[in-house]
Amino acid sequence: MIKKSSKVTSEFSTSSMSDINFLLLIFFLVSTMFAVDRGLPMSLPGESSSTVKLKTEDVLKIRAFSNGAIEAKGKGPIALSEIEPFVRAKLKVNPELVIVIETHPDAEYNIMIDILDELRNADASKISLRTMKSG
Amino acid sequence: MKISKKQGVQNTIPTGSMADIIFLLLIFFMVTTIFKMESGLPITLPRAESGGELQRERLITVWADRYNRISINDKLMRVDDIDKVVGAKLEENSNLIVAFKVDRIAKYRLVSDIIEQLKHANAINVTFVSVAEES
Repeated sequence: MIKKSSKVTSEFSTSSMSDINFLLLIFFLVSTMFAVDRGLPMSLPGESSSTVKLKTEDVLKIRAFSNGAIEAKGKGPIALSEIEPFVRAKLKVNPELVIVIETHPDAEYNIMIDILDELRNADASKISLRTMKSG
Repeated sequence: MKISKKQGVQNTIPTGSMADIIFLLLIFFMVTTIFKMESGLPITLPRAESGGELQRERLITVWADRYNRISINDKLMRVDDIDKVVGAKLEENSNLIVAFKVDRIAKYRLVSDIIEQLKHANAINVTFVSVAEES
């Protein structure tokens, strides 16, 4: 006859629980990413700054209309995706070029940001914002 | 008379409840921590590829939604009051950046009006907050 030993403990060890908790804590600390805001920086002309006169050939005007159409001076209607190569080519000819984004007051903000984004992708540094005279 | 001393005193600290203590502390600090967050207005930010990361400490955020509501520091305000509020903030810290959080389908007129007010307050550095483009 074989005697079965009944000395099996009915508890499981909880001392490693804290290690597991620490591991979880460190895992979530490392893997958590805080949302960072991204933005397109611009410098506005201040109240005191004087108006600078520019030569007509140094200015490229891009107009955004209320119906979403975009028009570039010297090219007529332009698609959003065409702006970057167009501006890049213009900047190669004249690095001093100032690009003016003229937006209609009833146009969506989105359009202005899209154009601004394209200009920044084209490495344009001199950008000016204007509002179209409505009416 | 001989009294036999019991020598069976345990010299280990029970670590079984350590996990519970750590959990309690964790939950306590999770519940009591309050992040200073501006709730702003419910808006959908425009998308842009070229947005750079912003430092949160230097920002003062102007919220504007598609219903022409404007909010700074969780206070709704009229366009004409922006220059005073932003001007006061700039007096405390002159290298603040004004962050535009504007709904993508808001009218440009609103943005244009805010920009005019910022020019009055001599807030020269602005940034248009956007979200990264999803390809």
